[in-house]
Amino acid sequence: MSGTHGTPKTASGDTGQDRERDAALAAVTRTARELIPEAGVITDHMRLRTYECDGLAHYKVTPGLVVIPETPEQLAGVIGACAEHRLPYVARGSGTGLSGGALPRADGVLVVTSRMRAIREIRREDQRAVVEPGVINLDVTKAATPHGYYYAPDPSSQQICSIGGNLAENSGGAHCLKYGFTSNHVVGAELVAPDGSVVQLGGTAPDSPGYDLLGAVVGSEGTLGIATAVTVRLVRLPEEVRTLLVGFKTTDQAGAATSAIISAGIVPAAIEMMDALAIEAAEAAVHCNYPADAGAVLVIELDGAAVEVEGEYTKVERLCNEHNAFEIRVARDPVDRALIWKGRKSAFAAVGRISPDYIVQDGVIPRTALPEVLKAIADLSTESGVRVANVFHAGDGNLHPLVLFDDSVEGAGEAAEKVSGAILDLCIGHGGSITGEHGVGIDKAAYMPRMFTDEDLDTMQLIRCAFDPVGISNPGKIFPTPRLCGEVPGRHKGAHPLQEAGLAEVF
Amino acid sequence: MPTTSTVDGTARAAVVSACEDVHDAGEADHVDGVPVALVARPTSTAQVSEVMRAGSAHGLTVVAAGRRTKLTWGRPPTSADVLLDLSGLDQVVEHAAGDLIVVTQAGARLSHLQEALAKEGQLLAVDETVPGSSVGGTLAAATSGPGRVQAGTLRDLLIGLTVVRADGVVAKAGGRVVKNVAGYDVGKLVTGSFGTLAVVTEALFRLHPLPATRRWVTVPFDNPAEAYRLAQSVVHAQCVAQAVEVDWPAEGPGTLGVLLAGIEDGVAGRASAVLDLLGGDAREDGSAPDGWAAYPWDVSATGDDRSTALKLTFALSGLPDVLEATRHTQAPVALRGSAGAGVVYAALPSGTDVAEIAAAVDALRTVCMRHEGSLVVLDASAAVKDAIDTWGPIPAIDLMRRVKDQFDPDHRLAPGRFVGGI
Amino acid sequence: MTAEKETAPLVDLGVPVPRGAFDEHRPPDAALVGDCVHCGFCLPTCPTYVLWGEEMDSPRGRIYLMKEGLEGEPMSDSMVSHWDACLGCMACVTSCPSGVQYDKLIESTRAQVERRHQRTAKDKVLRALIFSIFPHPRRLRLLRGPLRGMQRTGLDRLLRRTGLLDRVSPQLAAMERLAPRLGRAERLPEHLPASGPRRAVVGLLTGCVQGAFFPGVNAATARVLQAEGCDVVVPPRQGCCGALSVHNGREAEALTYARALIEAFESSGVERVVVNAAGCGSTMKEYADLLADDPAYAERARAFQEKVRDVTEVLVELGPVAPRHPLEVSVAYQDACHLAHAQGVRSQPRELLGAIPGLELREIAEPELCCGSAGIYNILNPEPARELGDRKAGNIVATGARLLVTANPGCLMQVTAAIERSGHPMGMAHTIEVLDASINGTSLSGPPHKGD
Repeated sequence: MSGTHGTPKTASGDTGQDRERDAALAAVTRTARELIPEAGVITDHMRLRTYECDGLAHYKVTPGLVVIPETPEQLAGVIGACAEHRLPYVARGSGTGLSGGALPRADGVLVVTSRMRAIREIRREDQRAVVEPGVINLDVTKAATPHGYYYAPDPSSQQICSIGGNLAENSGGAHCLKYGFTSNHVVGAELVAPDGSVVQLGGTAPDSPGYDLLGAVVGSEGTLGIATAVTVRLVRLPEEVRTLLVGFKTTDQAGAATSAIISAGIVPAAIEMMDALAIEAAEAAVHCNYPADAGAVLVIELDGAAVEVEGEYTKVERLCNEHNAFEIRVARDPVDRALIWKGRKSAFAAVGRISPDYIVQDGVIPRTALPEVLKAIADLSTESGVRVANVFHAGDGNLHPLVLFDDSVEGAGEAAEKVSGAILDLCIGHGGSITGEHGVGIDKAAYMPRMFTDEDLDTMQLIRCAFDPVGISNPGKIFPTPRLCGEVPGRHKGAHPLQEAGLAEVF
Repeated sequence: MPTTSTVDGTARAAVVSACEDVHDAGEADHVDGVPVALVARPTSTAQVSEVMRAGSAHGLTVVAAGRRTKLTWGRPPTSADVLLDLSGLDQVVEHAAGDLIVVTQAGARLSHLQEALAKEGQLLAVDETVPGSSVGGTLAAATSGPGRVQAGTLRDLLIGLTVVRADGVVAKAGGRVVKNVAGYDVGKLVTGSFGTLAVVTEALFRLHPLPATRRWVTVPFDNPAEAYRLAQSVVHAQCVAQAVEVDWPAEGPGTLGVLLAGIEDGVAGRASAVLDLLGGDAREDGSAPDGWAAYPWDVSATGDDRSTALKLTFALSGLPDVLEATRHTQAPVALRGSAGAGVVYAALPSGTDVAEIAAAVDALRTVCMRHEGSLVVLDASAAVKDAIDTWGPIPAIDLMRRVKDQFDPDHRLAPGRFVGGI
Repeated sequence: MTAEKETAPLVDLGVPVPRGAFDEHRPPDAALVGDCVHCGFCLPTCPTYVLWGEEMDSPRGRIYLMKEGLEGEPMSDSMVSHWDACLGCMACVTSCPSGVQYDKLIESTRAQVERRHQRTAKDKVLRALIFSIFPHPRRLRLLRGPLRGMQRTGLDRLLRRTGLLDRVSPQLAAMERLAPRLGRAERLPEHLPASGPRRAVVGLLTGCVQGAFFPGVNAATARVLQAEGCDVVVPPRQGCCGALSVHNGREAEALTYARALIEAFESSGVERVVVNAAGCGSTMKEYADLLADDPAYAERARAFQEKVRDVTEVLVELGPVAPRHPLEVSVAYQDACHLAHAQGVRSQPRELLGAIPGLELREIAEPELCCGSAGIYNILNPEPARELGDRKAGNIVATGARLLVTANPGCLMQVTAAIERSGHPMGMAHTIEVLDASINGTSLSGPPHKGD
């Protein structure tokens, strides 16, 4: 696992600015100490370093300060101090993000929500839950299950990723084809805005009058504020869930089967594909016992009323067979089901067993372009000699190519980056997206101009200017070039995170 | 007191050169009684952009309109120099059935869109609650009907859009794919914004397969507690109801209506389960109950003939209190909406005394807010709108104003129609 | 101007940077550190992360501190404090999809800490005290007298009520609270023949705490093995297996114990070395690695290690022959961390318990979460251990089972104390005692567990 490491020294060489920033950091640290118990204010260098990256270890920046507030008031107090001193801040949940969205600022504060982890309410009759941002995604479902409900968005990291992080990234997961994303399940949030004020967005009841600010905040990757309480929609547990593991010889066949199922008017709860290399990794990690010799597997899940599931299953089975499935396994009980999913959900981290290093991508393409794009990826792989394992949400065209390499080999890292970038270009070329669920963060900011025009980006940044005119809320993420917000003329203060991370130069 | 709008000669010329089809407004073009000077009817996004540029250069206020079915919703604009008629952008640009998406211009009629989609066995899962609506108008007012329980609303179905800003800049957000988190979700922000942030010229939606069959199960009720009990039994059941509606006219009993859609065998089984749940008086039917997906008021009424049209939202458990409250207002209230979503619509008849209406709105709003919801007066006669806080309290109004100031610093897009005087 | 890089990236160097936290003698392996992809799946199963919610006290964070040390950061108090706070429960090893061998990493780190870090005087005294008692079966047995005396006279309850010991030292108070109630002592003979046809010859580890405070468990183990056709050999000169020393970085001491134990069993000619304490078994299965650098013992350690089995493993391997009598009891089975996470033994105890007619097995919520015993962790870190113990007790009591069954004396003591605090007394037994009762047709003793 490699990565460049930036140290918290100045990148601008302007000592006047340095002194200002140091003073600002010291002031905010003082405020933090007044508000937050000692264990939650971290200044020790060794400890600060453990926070220097999130799930994307490729980028590291040691934060100037880490705070772990326990209440919304403490959090708002710190943000208020940041606003007063114009100190940048970055929010972090469980630190499992895959786009560097929680990459800290060396001149700023990292606000960690992992101690704000109470489930405040489970309200069955309203189909709602109110949770703090540090609550782990799966824990919401665990708390709701005894009431016959669950929280539908299920990213593969759901046993550790936080609701606050999900909100920031608009996380998806395997079941979002049928059930939607975080933005369809978050109905309200108490938000600490970048000026330190606390504002209520949305609420228990739907359609709050006024602008759908919540809709803009979900997926804004921490650039518009920090949620300190989240109201989510709970979904009734289905009467029946049927999980299938289907083996094919090739990804083309699997893709064709997927298309046939969708065309038949069935919306499966989930339909995931893994190719041979990904299966190999998953097998090594969790011994999921996927069909031997499969060139591709589909994990298909159907859920709903039992009679409906039965009818859908009959069709799906027929369509799979018509498209050359050589094995169809149906989970007999929850243990079976869990094991089938274990293989898919461990796939990313499991690749660590078959390759020292890897890049995980998150491109989206129209589903009908799947066979073409998979072939193009295979060609890229052959030409460059860089192996690519494929795991993806077949139902909605969200690909997760895992580009494998060994960083200790000269040039391997660069070759992998090239392939990775080429795959993103493929996605854009087919009218897709550079990110389906991991977010832009720092990792894909450079690609935004390939997907959007200057006008497009400018329009989005109008929103940012409304929420954060000073530019302290997770600056440097999403947009490669920050927009000047009118009220705050002059040069953008502070070093750009890519600079801090030692990955870019400012000329 | 709305004054006659005047647009000076140079401004007029600028608009005319921006757009082929421009004419002087007549009374029929006025927006909720507010006089309009010019009607511009562009046929492309580029023309819309030119019109907006002209407007920007000359400080003209602009109200965008689709098919004009909801032009009187919200508050009357403080000024409406130009009525931007988007009915000329009426094409369904592309239907990629294999990808379950459609690209459509904003001025297309919703019904026309649905027809086109149905040819490939698909639909846009939004109810046409106001007949003749345009796609853009539905988006701007964020209307929804019974199907929202399962399918969500337009905000959940919109995956991309093209907007023209107040300064004429054309921008896109989202894209052609359902899963997309690149950048901010401008689409959600613009949805329901009553045309005050930007003009939507094109929209992309995710689609659903047309269900093979639909069945309705209905059961009467005559008191709020019973309505709630019946509704909750369906809401918490595992039959996956597409809709759970309450319909309670001002006089007489109410009806709970449950919609089930899907494959034949599936729907038959689920309908039978719902019949069991709802008890002996429940009935099953292959066609929708009267008034299904329609608001409980005459949407075509104008001027003082309009009912006072209300939208009430509340936590699901607030249903009995809300229903109870509608039986206790002095003026009679007809109510229809979703017990499964916590969104219902109510109407006070035209000609009702303004003071009575104000009292009713107050009482109902209090109940909604007690149940963490809101009450909005969607439409009403001028006298009623003058007398009442139609939008109600808005917690995040400051932030909303800042958003407005960024998108439309001169406040020229439908000024005054929206919350907080926006 | 680009940011300066103070330290060379880890991957370029095969050896730790001089002036850094670690020296060249068995540092945490850089390659193993590199296996971590920072995914965070280990966090929700880590007891200290569950308690405190901070990165430094999670496996991912601890590995990161090791990486920092390898890259040249000095071994600071803050670094050490986080490694010390690790329970060594290995739940992270179970949950890691990338196969990071955290167990090896923390063991080598602890050994380095023990050698290279200056502990406080108070800390040193406490550790010296612990290690002068616990790994010495005879000294532990000597404590039985005074301990029984205290319990008979009620002095122990008086101490607890007044909180006197807490004020002197929370750690000593923790030790006192954990001490089991003692009954009569029993010593096992050297040879015990199989009842019926002989199927195997096995050795039995009598252990330290187990042997001194729970000799009944050893007696039950021997009986069950005999009943299943094993000749049982109990080498009289066996001592400590060294687990506590290994888990606390006392490398030289651990090696001494390991060599002695290998010698004690070598000449006995047994096919299997059977262990009924989870912590011991897991260390004994690492002897080959532990003694890899010692040419005189490396091969012997490997041969020895291959024979080591937990008692439930060997019973399932042999297959049951002794008939089981019914035991009508609901049982909550607690996976001891060093049995489940460290040795991967989960199904065997359940299989054996499940095969007893009338016995209803119930699963405990949050099974992967350590009870807080973790060797001597509950003595060195009484506060978090207490919180974890209470959490585990809550989950156990919630099953409504009448009997708690687990496989480690440490766990048993920790959980007993916690359950007593919760006010919901339950019966407690070692897995093998339940089997023993079923085979002999005796009933199980009721609440609270009696050490013999």
